[in-house]
Amino acid sequence: MDNQNIDKKTADRLPELLTVSASPHIRSSVTTSSIMLTVIIAMLPALLWSIYLYGIRALLVVAVSTIASVASEFLYQKLMKQKVTVNDLSAVVTGILVGFNLSPLIPLWIAAVGSVFAIVIVKQLFGGIGKNFLNPALAARVFLFIAFSKPMSTFAEPLSNISLFKSNADVIASATPMASLKAGTVPSDINIIQSFIGQTSGCIGEISCLLLLCGGLVMLVRRVITWHIPISFIGTVALLSYLFAPRTADAASFMMFSIFSGGLFLGAIFMATDYATCPMTSSGKLIYGVGCGAITVFIRFFAGFNEGVSFAILIMNLLVWYIDKLTRPRPFGKIKSKKGETSK
Amino acid sequence: MAFTFTGGIHPKEHKNTKNKKIERLTAPKTVSIPLSQHIGAPCKATVKPGDTVTKGQVIGIVQDGLGVPVHSSISGTVKQIITKRMPDDRAIESIVIENDFNDTLCPDIKPCETPLKDLTSDEIIERIRLAGISGMGGATFPTYAKISSAINKVDTMIINCCECEPYICANHRLMLEDPKSIIGGATILLKALGLRTCSIAVENNKMDAVAALKNEIGSSNMFNVCIMETKYPQGDERQIIYALKNIEVPAGKLPADVGCIVFNAETCSAVYKAFAYGMPLIERILTVDGDCIAKPKNVLAPIGASYLDLIEFCGGLRANVKKLVNGGPMMGAAQWDIEGSVTKGTSAVLVMSAKETPAYTADGVCIRCGTCVRACPMHLYPSYLAMFARNDAFEECKNYDVMSCVECGSCTYGCPGGVPIVQLIRSAKVRVRAMK
Repeated sequence: MDNQNIDKKTADRLPELLTVSASPHIRSSVTTSSIMLTVIIAMLPALLWSIYLYGIRALLVVAVSTIASVASEFLYQKLMKQKVTVNDLSAVVTGILVGFNLSPLIPLWIAAVGSVFAIVIVKQLFGGIGKNFLNPALAARVFLFIAFSKPMSTFAEPLSNISLFKSNADVIASATPMASLKAGTVPSDINIIQSFIGQTSGCIGEISCLLLLCGGLVMLVRRVITWHIPISFIGTVALLSYLFAPRTADAASFMMFSIFSGGLFLGAIFMATDYATCPMTSSGKLIYGVGCGAITVFIRFFAGFNEGVSFAILIMNLLVWYIDKLTRPRPFGKIKSKKGETSK
Repeated sequence: MAFTFTGGIHPKEHKNTKNKKIERLTAPKTVSIPLSQHIGAPCKATVKPGDTVTKGQVIGIVQDGLGVPVHSSISGTVKQIITKRMPDDRAIESIVIENDFNDTLCPDIKPCETPLKDLTSDEIIERIRLAGISGMGGATFPTYAKISSAINKVDTMIINCCECEPYICANHRLMLEDPKSIIGGATILLKALGLRTCSIAVENNKMDAVAALKNEIGSSNMFNVCIMETKYPQGDERQIIYALKNIEVPAGKLPADVGCIVFNAETCSAVYKAFAYGMPLIERILTVDGDCIAKPKNVLAPIGASYLDLIEFCGGLRANVKKLVNGGPMMGAAQWDIEGSVTKGTSAVLVMSAKETPAYTADGVCIRCGTCVRACPMHLYPSYLAMFARNDAFEECKNYDVMSCVECGSCTYGCPGGVPIVQLIRSAKVRVRAMK
């Protein structure tokens, strides 16, 4: 600085070198961890409800799955000499979702195995956050379902006293609502309202549709998710369940029970909307939601499994990059191209 | 119902100086006037060290090529002609003039004697060229060339008073304090283009300015004030044209190709002054702001004043400086020279601390949230473009229309993973251009 007599205070505050980096020079306050925190908060009501229904063991299962999830990501990244990213909270979300897909009676070590599978095999081995090609928690659920089918299908009667240490043989539930629907009838022991609020048996996170919906609204308002996938997914299941309801049941009731059971709300609101495995355009999301819904109903009607949500989402996950290509937005100032279609 | 476009973002406005009257900068001891302040060929100096110059005197002209002359913004003596290097290795010459504080006006400066109705387009264009006027919104395209290539081609003229970038209030204050110069300049431009009416686009966070303009326009039906939704980047001329006329300027083409021409508000004001007073473009309004500035202001500064002059005029610094940006925070350029100059295209000088301007994250990770896709006003796939660029897949970048990107930064602003999308796109564009 040659001939300027600068005020000393000003000179003190000037750095040795000014930082020169690319524009833009401001950012919004949204970060990966702030998004994940919103998701975690959105999942809390459903978790608290499960603790109310099943006692402290439900909390223990989710705690174990979450700790195992974070620990496996931390250890993997340390071992591979990569930057440790557990503070972006995505492992916490995956851990909670793994726990949500398990019965409250599941042996804790199985819950941990599920988390390790989700994080190490499905997420990290494929490149980490944003690069997984399947939803990690859902892939873990299917893996556990196949590897440990009995514990994964043993559910508890709600509001029974689940002991942490003693055998819980006496609290095992009779068939879940989904089993009745599979048999072609509407469940007789609960009504639609109970099914919606969540007074049935099932996996920890999938029971209370009402509270999952509240969580979904929280995420919607905070712009973490958009309405496209949940509405198209649930809507498609509702429509197809109504149209193809078995004659032995009242179509409208069948439809209502169908959407409130089988983990549909959990899947449509929290799992299908996982960023890495859903399309980036609005029309892409609608195609994806409809596809998930259609495959769910197909599997429920024709396949041997009681529910189709998990497999439907995993199958659609495989098509996501193609859906993105198909629904590529038409750039401003260009006419509709031959391969892309207009979006937005 | 406000006019708008699809996409865009709503960054925090930071319009801290919208109620602060424009203040003239205290006369600086020296000015350093770059000879290249516009798109096109740089000027060659017409003065040498030791020469006495007056305010408004021509000190540089373009010999051949596209360009407008450069004038001295103060009266005094030419001290030296310095050369500074740009990051792309271009050498920029600047004329350093020492102020004699007499404010002596150049004797050639005379208002235009002919009434507007008797002026021909060519006469108007020539006077605008001689006044050294180039686009003052930041694009710095020589205004006379823009008009000449648009005559008989355009039927819609739009005055851009959007000022969509955060912090900047220069046009806002101009509309409030001197709407006559904007309307006057627009009237002259309409005559040059042979048009009868023009639209004035103002964002709806400046309703007081709308009132001031309407008051100035009065009962004249030459001007139509259009209220735009406040959204970034509404001020991009393509988005204004789309919002007002529902026409998309085709990729690779100019607004004139769809019959439109857009002028910045202060450019109009400069045109008015060139006719009403004969003044060439030697000073401009800019906003000095940022969390390091003690007293942010809207400053009327002579071309060539240094950033330090501005900082001292605005109460000095009140926090440790990390970055100094010439222009808005979304598209402005970070500066390395604290004594860099105010030029014809400088709409703001922002001095920011580490709190206000986050670190550049070259290792940002894309989580595929889709925020960038929703934000892009050009309807591209920013996340895919960034991924292709990172993996050197430049053919894919080209297929995904990377050249249509206007580098507005809307994608990068909201990216939760901190991917430097715009910078990756810029580097890809360089390679795609080399491919052709």
